[in-house]
Amino acid sequence: MSHLMSKGVLLFCFDTEHTRYHKILEHCVRLVKKNICKDITVVTNFNTYQKMSPMGFINYRFIEPELGNKHNGRAWNNVDRHMAYELSPYETTLVMDIDYFCFTDNLAQLFNTNYDFLVSDTAYDLTGENAFDQRRWSMIPMVWATVLLFKKNNRVRKLFDTVKYIKQHYQYFTEMYRIYAKNLRNDYLFAMALQQINGFMGYEKLPFVLPTLPPNCEVVKITDEGLAWKYKDQISYVENQDVHVLNKEVANV
Amino acid sequence: MDIHELKRQSDLSYDTAVAKRNALEKATSRLVVVYNEHIFRADPQTICLVRTLKESHNNFCVLDTNNNPVEITAPDEFLSILLERNQESLNAYNQIYKTFARKDT
Repeated sequence: MSHLMSKGVLLFCFDTEHTRYHKILEHCVRLVKKNICKDITVVTNFNTYQKMSPMGFINYRFIEPELGNKHNGRAWNNVDRHMAYELSPYETTLVMDIDYFCFTDNLAQLFNTNYDFLVSDTAYDLTGENAFDQRRWSMIPMVWATVLLFKKNNRVRKLFDTVKYIKQHYQYFTEMYRIYAKNLRNDYLFAMALQQINGFMGYEKLPFVLPTLPPNCEVVKITDEGLAWKYKDQISYVENQDVHVLNKEVANV
Repeated sequence: MDIHELKRQSDLSYDTAVAKRNALEKATSRLVVVYNEHIFRADPQTICLVRTLKESHNNFCVLDTNNNPVEITAPDEFLSILLERNQESLNAYNQIYKTFARKDT
């Protein structure tokens, strides 16, 4: 089967000085293979690749990550998402953050839709504290670029071109849209690009909210069915529910 | 009156409320179903609409979750998929819900 007629998952993974992202990737790949699909492409660099344990058949694309972005004072090599269109070998691609753990096959069915670009606009705080419902200063709705589904066509190529353009002029666009963030976030890039390329009107979205554990939750156990976390001295868990884990210490679990 | 017992009950109630909320969110996510290359929710509104339209039409149009019109040409099949997903999701929620009831007693 030609790759251009195929469907697959695209993941980005670059270790940093402080975080062994390849360990998070290993959890993610295991769950994607079990619940989403077997066709996986990992975008990484050679240094990270050398540390990975064998994960079965995986397609690798090697690039050097763009440096300079930081999160909580630590290096955060996450600004290459705009290259997903060129790097994906698939006609239909599901791009996911590696800290999004698919404990269900909910996302797998999206490969069978005719939408050419889907993204979620809502995160759901699993601690019950609604940490993501903060005051919004920006003039446009935000999206969570944690999970993206796209097909290769002319319209989507223009969307990614717009993402690249906004990234080049990030300060201008963030000021224009009143996005008061110091670091570069894919969420903002895609929110602004979707606004621009869709004629400043709405766009189609994933019907899911993204169940998310805030950074102050410590993941204490991961299995193939779910995970448990510690928050304010209490242990909670979910099973058979996807979870986006923001605390990068999950690499040590 | 044992204040520690009251605090323990309060903590338990909070934990149960959060776990119930998470279980409901899990059930809601599971209601999403793809049919005819479009996304739908197997919720009561969709099920009732499809069932009502099916009574008098062999094919009809409904809106997907992004308000795109979709022509349904096999209503029985579509309704069956919606019902199956709806009950799968709610049965799973019911199982979790029963554990909350046990904790409260």
